[in-house]
This record gives sequence, structure tokens and C-alpha cells, in this order.
Amino acid sequence: MVSDETFFAWLDGELDPAESARVEAAVNADPRLSTMAAQHRSMQARLKGAFDPLLEAPLPESLLGAVHNSPQPDVVDFAEAKQRRERRSWRPAPQWGAMAATLAAGVLIGTIVPHQQEAAPAEIHGGKMYAASALNHALDTQLASAPSGDIRIGMTFRDQGGAICRSFTSAPLSGLACRDDGRWQLRGLFAPPEGQTSDYRMAAGMDPSLAALVDSTMSGEAFDAAQERASREKSWR
Amino acid sequence: MDQSLSFEDELAALLPRLRRFAHALSRNAADADDLTQATIERGLRSRQQWEPGTRLDSWLYRIMRNLWIDTVRARGRREDLHTPVEEAERIGEDPREAMEAAIDLGKAMAAMQRLPDEQREIVALILIEGFGYRECSEILGLPIGTVSSRLVRGRNALLQMMGA
Repeated sequence: MVSDETFFAWLDGELDPAESARVEAAVNADPRLSTMAAQHRSMQARLKGAFDPLLEAPLPESLLGAVHNSPQPDVVDFAEAKQRRERRSWRPAPQWGAMAATLAAGVLIGTIVPHQQEAAPAEIHGGKMYAASALNHALDTQLASAPSGDIRIGMTFRDQGGAICRSFTSAPLSGLACRDDGRWQLRGLFAPPEGQTSDYRMAAGMDPSLAALVDSTMSGEAFDAAQERASREKSWR
Repeated sequence: MDQSLSFEDELAALLPRLRRFAHALSRNAADADDLTQATIERGLRSRQQWEPGTRLDSWLYRIMRNLWIDTVRARGRREDLHTPVEEAERIGEDPREAMEAAIDLGKAMAAMQRLPDEQREIVALILIEGFGYRECSEILGLPIGTVSSRLVRGRNALLQMMGA
């Protein structure tokens, strides 16, 4: 005896293997159940077949607009933010550098010290912090358009002094590094606030502190994929 | 989820599926696109409430279903007054014709509209969107047993309407 609920659960592939085999045997042995299975499979195929073309249909402009033009509280539009800043003749405050350095030092102590057996992502030379090991390699070689591994590159651009800078994420940290005498000097390194995972922040947009640092550092526009590739070929000079 | 994509990109990638679900719930295409748009807007506004590590699609389907319920309630639940499915006339005039021909979207939407709301959402999620019973029960906040019994009634009613 097979109840309707069990019969359809079998049809939908919801039963465990043993139960599924039992129902299948019952269906095979009962012409009424076999017919019912065929009828319902056909009905579902036609129902789904009627709705599925929507997956390939062009989307109305209004819907695409709703995704990309609505208020985006967590994501900073850099070009727009810069325009706003320039309209107001606001200049990046000099304390940005100091703040970034403070944050970076705090984060580094918290992150690197407990894991000394792993290769630290940063090292200190002459009072400056530089990217090291895997982070250094990613900054040297990786393109934003082709993320790979645990480290992802965000934006590439030039700072006011003309040095190339790249933002990056290496869970759970994100940060900004700029070329300084052939090396990647860390301008800021940020950890997510307590209780917020980096996965979420990456999905939702850039860390707000990093976004502010990028905004105050960037001169002109962020590089497109071709500019990024060309810069890599010139060793980020 | 793919971390190289922004929340907006993930949402945009889900748009066709959300739109299909909206058509399965709604009376007509205009209502369906309004519902899809309202879902996008609510999803973007409420993105902090999405729990990382959980499925973004399920979360958005839940938002859409709740918005749809609000709309149905605002209309005074007119859907409750529809003719019982058993007495409704069949969509295909000749059942043999229905058996052979693929049905178009309009007919499929009309058939879905004849289902009670609480069966329609389950039929849409499982038979059209392809969710499992467990996922469906989580999206709707219903026990699996309830999902399973409503699904039986919904698909039997559809079989009557659409023919085998």
C-alpha cells in the first residue's frame, strides 16, 4: 500500500534509497500507479515547459534598473564619491594615513602573532609595512578580472603621487597596497567588525574603512581590465 | 557563493528565476514584473538581514512569497472566492488535444490561478522552480508534512485542469 504522499515523494526523488525501491516495485506491479506516474510526469513537464522560456526571455529594463540604480547603502560608488568630494573642494585629511597605519598595526598584531608558523602576509622594513609571501605574489601577478586562490584583487589605480595601488581581500582581511620603490607598501589593512564575516562583506561590497581609504587615495579613475594587464607587464611602474 | 561577484551581480543573476516564480504566483505578466521589482527593492534594502552562508536564492524567494501574500491580502483575498477546482471547466477544451500540445504560458498561468494560494506557492516552488521539499518548507515556514499534502492536492487539481 502506497499513500499519495509517499507516491509523490517517490516521484519527486524525496525518498531514501530503500523506501524508494519499495515504492518503485509497488508502482511497477500496479498498472494504476504506473499510469498515474506517467500522467503526473507529463503534466509537470508541460507545466514547467510553459514557464521555462521566461529564463531565456530578455529582462525588462525596469527590472535591471531596479538592481543597479537603487540606493546601495553598503557599496561606495567611487566615481560618484570622488565627484562629490571634488565639488565640495574637500581634500583628504592628512590623518587618513595615520589612521590607516594605526588600524593596520592593530590588525597585524592580532592576526599575525597567533599564526607565526604560517607565512605572514606583511613584513616591516624601515618603519614601513610591506606585503610579503602570498599576498605579495598576488599583488604582483593577479588580475581583478581573473580571481584565483584565497586572495582577491579589487581595484587598481594611481594615487595622487602617481604610484599604482591595488585593493585586495584575503579573508578575513582587506586592504590597500601601493608601489613604493619596487615593493607593495601596505597603506591600510582592515578586519571585519565583530560578528560580521568577511564573506558577507565581500558579497555586500567593500569594507567601508577601506572604501574611504581608496577614495582618499585614488587619483583619476580605477583601471579597466586592459589597463590593469598593461600595468602588470610594466611591473606596476 | 562566488565571492568575486557583488551582491547586485548575484541578485541580477537570479532575476530570470525570480521572474519565473513571480509569473507562477501572479494573475498576469504585469503583476508578475511588479512583484519581481518589489522583491529586488526589498532585497537590496534588507541585505543586512541575509545570513551569510545561507542560500541567497531561498532568501529572495521567501521575500517574494511574503510580498505576494501581502498583495493578495490587500486585495481582500478575492482568490478565496474562486470556483473549486473540481468543478472548474478544463483549460483544454479537448483533453486529447491538451495531451499532445505543449501549453503556453498564458494557459499555464491561468491553471495556476485556479489553485488555492496555499497550494499554488508549493506547486510553483517544487514543480516549477525545482526546490526540494525541505527547501520549500524552509522558504515557506511550513512543516514538511503540510508541504507534502498540499502538493498532492495541487498537482491532482492541475492534472484535472491540464489533462494528463
